[in-house]
Amino acid sequence: MTRRRRTRILVEGNPEIRRKFSANIESRHSIVEIEPPGPVLTMIKIRDTARKSLFYLGEVLVTEAKVRVNETIGLGIIAGDNEEAARDLAVIDAALRANLPETADWYSRLVNEEQRIRAHLQRHHARIDETRVRFETLDEG
Amino acid sequence: MGYVAIKGGTAAIEASIARLAYERTKGGTVLDVDRVLGGMRALIDQVMSESSLYSEEVAAICIKQAEGSPEEAVFTMRAFRSTLPRKHYSNVVESDSMRVERRISATFKDIPGGQILGASYDYVHRLVDFAMSEETDQSATEWLTAWHDATSGTPSATASAEPGRLPKVLDYLRDRGLMKRVEVDHTEPKDVTKEALSFPTSRSERLQVLTRGQTGTVTSLGYASLRGYGPLLHPTVAELRVGYLPITIADPFVDEADGTDDEDAYYIGEVKVTEVESVVPVAAPRGEGRSEIEFDIGYGICLGQNETKAIAMSLLDQCLQHPDPAFPTHDEEFVLLHIDSVEATGFISHLKLPHYVTFQSNLDSVRRSRNSKQASLADRDVDLPPAPGGGV
Repeated sequence: MTRRRRTRILVEGNPEIRRKFSANIESRHSIVEIEPPGPVLTMIKIRDTARKSLFYLGEVLVTEAKVRVNETIGLGIIAGDNEEAARDLAVIDAALRANLPETADWYSRLVNEEQRIRAHLQRHHARIDETRVRFETLDEG
Repeated sequence: MGYVAIKGGTAAIEASIARLAYERTKGGTVLDVDRVLGGMRALIDQVMSESSLYSEEVAAICIKQAEGSPEEAVFTMRAFRSTLPRKHYSNVVESDSMRVERRISATFKDIPGGQILGASYDYVHRLVDFAMSEETDQSATEWLTAWHDATSGTPSATASAEPGRLPKVLDYLRDRGLMKRVEVDHTEPKDVTKEALSFPTSRSERLQVLTRGQTGTVTSLGYASLRGYGPLLHPTVAELRVGYLPITIADPFVDEADGTDDEDAYYIGEVKVTEVESVVPVAAPRGEGRSEIEFDIGYGICLGQNETKAIAMSLLDQCLQHPDPAFPTHDEEFVLLHIDSVEATGFISHLKLPHYVTFQSNLDSVRRSRNSKQASLADRDVDLPPAPGGGV
């Protein structure tokens, strides 16, 4: 599973997932906080669709943390003010970078959570779809 | 005239600040920040867009602190932003990755993906709903429960694996040869928060200044361009969409020079934006005094749901792509130097600051001028009122 896919599941999914993953690693390994969770900025670089050029849209407030699990550094980063999530994500990132044995069963749990997120979004957008316009062309005569 | 240092305002300023707190709390009730978050969606979006900082929570606090004044809230957000390190730049966001919650087009009714109205004030009567004064948390919860129960919200069998992803109307027009194709431009953008504007500006600078512009000013100037302060013919909104863009950053432990894989990126969350592409008819010269109408595109986008601002931005983008000193809306100095909320309100507000020496100097000039005129008229035996200040 790619990092992009995994971090999306962990950021958008149930916070309990990342909390359990992180707690499991913390209970068995030495963890050092290199950078405690704190607010930083991320500038959004975006492409306009009219001339397909790049520009800066504005900044997002994010919470970032860095930890070392044994000898491996991990980064946790999430939009908004969420110190607990940033720290959990950093621990999980380090554990996966180090390929720790505890991560072996994470894949299936992440895939399950991904399906749950997708189903939730599908229900959400099904409600939005109620606002779709169904045009009717009136016949003359 | 020399400058004279004065003091004595400290106690009065402290009392004034306390008075401000009194005005905010004198009713014996205060706004809960969660209630601002829950009920002030539009103001939060406006403040985030003008402050160029996406954080609904911080915007809600600033709105409470500023008693609902957008200019104060934006000023406070910008000040807060200046205290934080910018540690990351996102990977390039392509707006076709948006999870769309509203999208409409004024060009064709049958656009691929359909017209989805989403949540909008466009379709409501602007009549005061006096029932709002009686609304309670309980009545809101009951309404919500009924709304959730009204339909199951069960997705159809053909529900998308990527809900909310829709094709762009502009791509549809380009695919059919109705609009010119453009090459992808990889030029790195300039950043107006790092480097002061100098003219002529780059496109990236213009778009950045426009997107963080004060909503009212961007709207007014866009309106002016429509009313004839420019050669703009009637533009049409090809697509307006409101939705969420996924934001990722590259792995910071990998040297960029070694190449980064987008799938190895960190996903950090979504931001809500409004995006507009306007199709603008322009007269293209064809020689021998002839011209033909062709279509140009104006681009607007801003943080949050700010539809009027995004449309106005798209008009101004198109105007500024075609500089013309004859029209203020085509003059980038005029537009870009006057639309920032903090700069405009700050400069206007500075007029309230003590100008005792400057004004005294002006007064002296008036007195000298009056006295000299009086002396010359006295020679001719004409009566004049006394000079201001009685000549003291």
